[in-house]
Amino acid sequence: MLKLSEAPAYFERYRDIIPDFERFLEHLKEPLPLYFRLNELKCPDPEIVLKGLARQGVKAELVSGLPRFYRVEPRDFPLGSTEEYYLGYIYPMTTSSALPVIALEPRPGEYILDLCAAPGSKTTQMAQASQDKAVIVANDRRLDRLTALVANLKRLGVASVATTLYRGETFPFGIPFDKVLVDAPCSGEGRYRQGYEGELLYQKEGHTNLPAIQKGLLVRAFDLVKVGGIVVYSTCTFNPEENELVVDYLLRKRQAEILLCEYPLPCHPGITEWEGKILHPGLANARRFYPHETQSVGFFVAKIKRLM
Amino acid sequence: MPRKKKRVKKIHKEAKWPRVTSFEERDEVLSFWEERFGIPKEAFEGYLLLSTSKNYWLFVELPDIKPLQGLKVQTVGLLFTRRVSHWLKPTSTALQRFGHLAQKNIIDLSPAELDRLRRERKIPFSAEVEEGYVILRCEGKVWGCGLYVKKSLISFLP
Ligand SMILES: C[S@@+](CC[C@H](N)C(=O)[O-])C[C@H]1O[C@@H](n2cnc3c(N)ncnc32)[C@H](O)[C@@H]1O
Repeated sequence: MLKLSEAPAYFERYRDIIPDFERFLEHLKEPLPLYFRLNELKCPDPEIVLKGLARQGVKAELVSGLPRFYRVEPRDFPLGSTEEYYLGYIYPMTTSSALPVIALEPRPGEYILDLCAAPGSKTTQMAQASQDKAVIVANDRRLDRLTALVANLKRLGVASVATTLYRGETFPFGIPFDKVLVDAPCSGEGRYRQGYEGELLYQKEGHTNLPAIQKGLLVRAFDLVKVGGIVVYSTCTFNPEENELVVDYLLRKRQAEILLCEYPLPCHPGITEWEGKILHPGLANARRFYPHETQSVGFFVAKIKRLM
Repeated sequence: MPRKKKRVKKIHKEAKWPRVTSFEERDEVLSFWEERFGIPKEAFEGYLLLSTSKNYWLFVELPDIKPLQGLKVQTVGLLFTRRVSHWLKPTSTALQRFGHLAQKNIIDLSPAELDRLRRERKIPFSAEVEEGYVILRCEGKVWGCGLYVKKSLISFLP
């Protein structure tokens, strides 16, 4: 359990990579704003949702640059117990969490694998982005979490998804995936802030070797996608060992290239050097997102193309 | 207010691939939706109809389903229609998704009526619709499936 008073010491090792470090630390004292994504598959007319929420005293404002994302006031409103939620018209989700699917650009007709999918915020976002017409396989290794994913697919009325329960590292070959998303299990440092203390996976499971798991998942994802296809690797942590170093490992093992990508939130290039280790220069094309700049959760996203 | 209740169906470890329906079977199911609710078959273009013993599922149409059938799947697609004895019955899930395209056999309830129906499951009701499965709608929102017979309305809402 990391107390807010201990946060400065914990994050000190990122002083040189997190821009405006003091403002970052100050920002951690603020609660996370509340956002939701509108599900047009079930609710073609946003006014129905906005009016319904307004009647319950909720103000929802469109987030600029992020179609279908709304910022909600008051920020502690229980969206999960509304009729709009129950009927699958909305999916509460923070804005930076939308970035990996923006990088993935799902299109109708594509074969897409979501390797670490539960509880499905990104799976359902992909289904919406492809008008429910891409072939999406949503996988997670945990049955309890997959059950939550299946409930979300049903709630949102998604038809284009098949769910599976494999260890990502051993997901079977044989399907010519155009795109794979690896939204990897991570230490979750990017979520850390007031009201969310103690949720760092590193602390909770002291012995889990996350970078080793992440490397295994990313290499498998790369081997599963077809030549010329796209793998998006994302985490919600600042830790370079779970981000750039994982992608660096792939770039040394396989023929891959990191593509530049436009995002609707403020961002910074991936780092190319960490604790004296020089990393692949292509990592500058990856992107880092920080909570004090995005009013959201910290994220890392790399859009990777399989060359051979 | 929506009621909080776990209603997720248990996922089975050894779930099998549903089978792809024949053209005739697909046509029978889609004809039912067209005749009963006036939702044209074209609304489901691009979707494949799969079937397990008594259930029909909607999934994406794809050039070749074989490679996917190599996967051990837990679920595939959206539960669309059930076979109940020799009737076809739309699921609330599917009506919530496609019900806004319906032209007929829709019952508009006031919030108080909807509330009562969800609590009591069956209420006396009089409406200008054919007897049989109906779409339950309230303030423009489709809630799902009901059954209208002999001046009463039965709820199939989850
Ligand atoms: C960051 S969460 C995914 C969040 C999800 N993509 C979303 O947007 O809702 C990481 C997930 O990876 C799963 N996971 C952990 N290890 C895994 C493995 N070896 N293979 C597959 N999934 C794994 C966890 O159960 C967890 O649900």
